[in-house]
Amino acid sequence: MKKILLFVLMLAVGCAPWVEVGGIYKTESHNFSVELPQGWMRWNQGDDLIITRDGVLLQNIQVVRPNIKDPLKYTKKKFSNGMLPHEVAEIILDDVASNQAILGFQLIENTSIEICGFSGFRAIYTYKNKGGLKIKSVYCGFMADPWFYGLNYNAAERYYFEKDIQTFERVFKSFKLIKTA
Amino acid sequence: MRLIVLSLLFCFLVMGCATTSLPPVTKDFKLEDDEKRLWLRSEEEQEVINRSGVIYRGEELEAYLNEIAEKLQPAEVFTHIPFKVVVIKNHHLNAFMYPNGVLYVHSGLLARMDNEAQLATLLAHEMTHATHRHLIKQFRDTKNKTAFLATISVTTAGLGVYGSLATLLGSIGTVAAIRGYSREHETEADEEGFKLMASSGYDPREASKLFTHLKKELEEEKEKEPFFFGTHPRVVERLENYETLLKTRPLEQQEGILNTEIFLEKTSRIILDNARDDLRAGRFEIAERGVKKYLIVKPESAEANCLLGDIYRQRAKGDDLAKAKAHYQKAISINSSYPDSYKGIGLIHYKQGEKTVAKQALELYLSLSPQALDRTYIEGYIHQCKEGGKK
Repeated sequence: MKKILLFVLMLAVGCAPWVEVGGIYKTESHNFSVELPQGWMRWNQGDDLIITRDGVLLQNIQVVRPNIKDPLKYTKKKFSNGMLPHEVAEIILDDVASNQAILGFQLIENTSIEICGFSGFRAIYTYKNKGGLKIKSVYCGFMADPWFYGLNYNAAERYYFEKDIQTFERVFKSFKLIKTA
Repeated sequence: MRLIVLSLLFCFLVMGCATTSLPPVTKDFKLEDDEKRLWLRSEEEQEVINRSGVIYRGEELEAYLNEIAEKLQPAEVFTHIPFKVVVIKNHHLNAFMYPNGVLYVHSGLLARMDNEAQLATLLAHEMTHATHRHLIKQFRDTKNKTAFLATISVTTAGLGVYGSLATLLGSIGTVAAIRGYSREHETEADEEGFKLMASSGYDPREASKLFTHLKKELEEEKEKEPFFFGTHPRVVERLENYETLLKTRPLEQQEGILNTEIFLEKTSRIILDNARDDLRAGRFEIAERGVKKYLIVKPESAEANCLLGDIYRQRAKGDDLAKAKAHYQKAISINSSYPDSYKGIGLIHYKQGEKTVAKQALELYLSLSPQALDRTYIEGYIHQCKEGGKK
């Protein structure tokens, strides 16, 4: 099964802009650096950083940095200055839960944490994707006006989540802002 | 996708010479061979939907909806088409009927209705599609074969953005839920449905009111909806048809049953659940309307008053925060051990710098809800309050 998935991934790499990663990834334009795991592949398009090892549907780690003025994808709620950390978490989780392509969203944990010196959040939740696969996710994020920074790990709950959660924790711990206001 | 197109093509070839002039279902009704295949295919598609987790489980509500459906059709029709109403958890405005009598109604549409007469209008419209065999007629319409196939290909492609339900629908579900039937068949469903609801004693004036609501909401939200009843031109068509039909009735026959109270009682849970989803999605006005509707039936609900407080607190426009406080207080006066009301009130005071009141309310919240998922945030705010601030 794994060989087939790798083969599919290799095919995808051949015709899509996937690049192998490993080591420090620094993006001045997005004002962050992060250490990426060896042997993973990075989607080399779009604004967000997305990496996977066995395929994005089975496991992926994303780092996003939207402007807080930008509309979110699924909720019409908006970030605003002076929001409390749990309000920021609430907006992100509401955005995830409002996605009609997922079913049975269930929040398991939602705690306040400090990220890069900012008050942030760490949430764990599960849902079923449109293929019926149960996905478990960890979402860590914080607001550093005018940006929201989010690190998100999504993996099939069975087998894959446990397999790569430590990899995500290492990526998360290595996350740094290049400049802070 | 290729399989769907091939199987449809096969159906068309088999049905190439069949007539589209079929009588409605009566006591002598017999399924034709190609119609049987459509029914079988419908069952397969329904299995996919039923297994997917989109079904809203509520025995009492389902029993009520099916009771209304039974009122609308003579028993002899039920022996041939075993109608069954099933609710789908989905905020989009829609309902769709399979030819074998299984009718799916979205929770979003149910939550927008005011009374049983409006529900009867919708059920009767959808049931007419089955009793008048619109799907088999449409499939047999050889002139439209190519266009029909093309439409299915186009409408099913890229539906993922509208969520899992849209991608779960098979070819029959796509016709029924998204594309709709021909204008002629939809008009027939309006006319026959109108007769059914009115002859069952329901107030015929409510038929057009349902679509006036939907039209208003679609215009307010400016959200592009994928499904038939969420499409502005189709809603306007229904509205105009029902208004014309009402004018044809003598004035003395323009009154009837509304059953507002029983309808709201039976659908109240769905109204509140839907309002919660609307709040999550940031549709504040719709969420507010939903909770207010729920409060008409259950004014002494701490949960609903607290939810209304949450809506105002999160929207925070104009005098929203004052309204939020009032609703949290009302919720506390109804049920002093409902924790979320204290959290809401505590957060407002915390943000307003009134730390003493905030601390007291937040501590009460945690004592009533020791397992609260947001405990660490609240403890952090309480800690900040202890460090001082405005009294």
